[in-house]
Amino acid sequence: MKKTLFVSLAVLVAAAGSAHAQTTIKINGYGGQDPAIVGDLINRFVKPALAKDNISVVYQPLQGDYNQQLTTLLAAGNAGDVFYVPGETFDGYVATGRLLPLKGVVNTTPFIKSLNDAFTRNGKTYAVAKDFNTLTLVYNKDIFDEAKVAYPNDNDTWTSFQNKLAAVKKALGNDYYGACLAPDYARMGEFAFAAGWQPFDAKGKTNLLDPAFVSAFNYFTGLTKNKVAVQPSELSQDWSGGCLASGKVAVAIEGNWIVGFLKDNAPNLKYGTALIPKNDKTGKRGNFVFTVGWAINANTKNKAAAAKVLNILTSPNVQQYVLEQGLAIPSRSSLQNNAFFKKTTPGAQNSKAVFQGASSGTVRPYYFGTQGSDWTKPINTALAAVLSGQKSSADALKQAQQEMNTFQNR
Amino acid sequence: MLKKGQTPAAYLFLAPFLITIGIFFFYAFARAIYYSFTDFNLFNDPTLIGVKPYVDVLSDPSFRRALANSLVFAVITTTLQTVGALLMAVALNNKIRGMAFFRAAWYMPSITSSVVITLIFLWLFQRRGVANYAITQWQTFLPYTLTLLGVLIAAQVAQVLWERSRRLPAGWFDPALAAVSLLIAVAVTAALSWTGVLSARDVAPYDFQYFSDRWISIGGVQILSIPMLVIIIQNTFTTIPTLMLFFLAGLQNIPGALYEAADIDGATPAQKLLNVTVPMLRPVSFYVITVGLIGTMKMFDQVAVIGSAAPRDTLITLAYYVYTNTFKAGAAPVNMAAAAAIVLAAIILLMVFLQRRFISSEAI
Repeated sequence: MKKTLFVSLAVLVAAAGSAHAQTTIKINGYGGQDPAIVGDLINRFVKPALAKDNISVVYQPLQGDYNQQLTTLLAAGNAGDVFYVPGETFDGYVATGRLLPLKGVVNTTPFIKSLNDAFTRNGKTYAVAKDFNTLTLVYNKDIFDEAKVAYPNDNDTWTSFQNKLAAVKKALGNDYYGACLAPDYARMGEFAFAAGWQPFDAKGKTNLLDPAFVSAFNYFTGLTKNKVAVQPSELSQDWSGGCLASGKVAVAIEGNWIVGFLKDNAPNLKYGTALIPKNDKTGKRGNFVFTVGWAINANTKNKAAAAKVLNILTSPNVQQYVLEQGLAIPSRSSLQNNAFFKKTTPGAQNSKAVFQGASSGTVRPYYFGTQGSDWTKPINTALAAVLSGQKSSADALKQAQQEMNTFQNR
Repeated sequence: MLKKGQTPAAYLFLAPFLITIGIFFFYAFARAIYYSFTDFNLFNDPTLIGVKPYVDVLSDPSFRRALANSLVFAVITTTLQTVGALLMAVALNNKIRGMAFFRAAWYMPSITSSVVITLIFLWLFQRRGVANYAITQWQTFLPYTLTLLGVLIAAQVAQVLWERSRRLPAGWFDPALAAVSLLIAVAVTAALSWTGVLSARDVAPYDFQYFSDRWISIGGVQILSIPMLVIIIQNTFTTIPTLMLFFLAGLQNIPGALYEAADIDGATPAQKLLNVTVPMLRPVSFYVITVGLIGTMKMFDQVAVIGSAAPRDTLITLAYYVYTNTFKAGAAPVNMAAAAAIVLAAIILLMVFLQRRFISSEAI
């Protein structure tokens, strides 16, 4: 009797022991299509690699507003061991102190420099870019052909690009437009970077009355002169990809996300891609990098296992798979000679331009500093006021600067 | 009074409510007050920094816009819904066949989720939504409408004059004559349309953007935004039925003798409404206005559902301001949100106090 008891106890202890050795790494990421993609990546690449280490991986998507939910989970101490951190809200998370600095944990050198910069603050890198996007000019070939105007190309300057759009509008008349411009810093800022504007000075303040910013602002809003460019809302669209798909607009300024959208919504549209035009004076182009990084929770109990998972998720074979599936543009600099970029399909051409965009001219991450996305509000308000003709550019910018001062002095 | 030994039992029964109120009201309220004087950002250990969060909040243009929006929304909506609910209650208090159906139908908007109704309104008032479509149709068929109306009026006038020329009493709005006039008008319009004299106009689609940065201004001061106006219409539509119930209950308690006396004195329906119904409903009105003001000051869901479909300044309310400052990406200015919440609570308390003091003290 005693022996049986002893044996069953031993079995119990052994079971508890083996359960203890099993480490579970929880990953937080976007909902939508990401659970399927990341789930597939985990099954194909992560699980086989970690089978012998007794590490299991679970993907826990956060539906709805990702940033809001991640913040709540982090504040409550319930966030995953590894999670996505979007570049634009990165500063807000650095301020929480819940991101683990990756020095000595993960090697960040194989990744594109502008992407590492996007996740580096005060010399510490806190995340590895999972993938990224930049802006490109996506144009409707048929419209340019019909208007007998040359396609936009990588050598275009602000002036030559503007002239092409005006020529298209002139040739095709009232039902067609040169471009679709949303009143959004995310579509206007790259022109300001090209002109030499810096979003934050040494003291962390923003100057919207800087001549470089003013020239970009005037160029962007000036494109709407004579209805050459329109706002998406004027065509009952909510973004310029929708405008392009409608076949009424010659050019959209968007990233690689437009490829899948056009495949589904305008499969017969013939489109090409060019890089963002260069500033006439500086001869440089500007661009945003939009990126999402993998970060490790500073409070994780399984730092080593989390680092292993992160390394596999950013490994060359995972990134190759992501690229070939047309899911996103991967972040390793060694991929620039990838065979995929040499394909001639419009989608692959766009991917190539997006990849090039990350290292051509002045490229800055899409970010707003520690105070978060409200930073863009004065700029967007000014853009909306000028694009809809309610205010002059000078008045709008003056008011925007006042609001920016109030915001930043908080 | 409780006898000796009953007190513990009473507290036992009250315990669930006391605990809930204690945690989710008193404790939460005290915490909010505390946070509003600290530098709390969800992640740090709060330290007291005095009234700085209040200064920051008051100097924030978004907060001032939110305050103005909330007050304008509260005043307009409360007025509209109180008057509307009263009129509807009076209408539904009549003894007409099928009244049960009307009462049920009128009450429907109130039991439907406000999120669903907001989505429906969002569709109605889109750029190519039903509202603009109806206006376009109205403009397209304006020739028909005008012809119909013109012939109707002309026929009515002709008939009444003819009746009067025969020394018969006939009012301008005589229903029997109006029915004949309508028939004539329809026939004439149809005939004109048939012969091709009348045709629909070719008008461009009406393209008003309701959810854009448009304002009704007085003297250059932006008072009410068009998106907010849409929400006011929607909110009035959904709250009238609930408030109507209170008025209906109040109406049942007004003695019929008062109306009989008024009838004997020869009072018109309007006089009866203003001099009998309204004064007798005073306690109910006080309750309805108070509930309305509190509800409208706290309005949040409609704004949250519309979200980024309209420019933020046009819709931001105090409750939404508190929400957006608490739920941000990363460290959030929770101290400012708390300060704004305290300001909101103070305003509501002040409103109710003023109302008790000046409007309805004698009725309670």
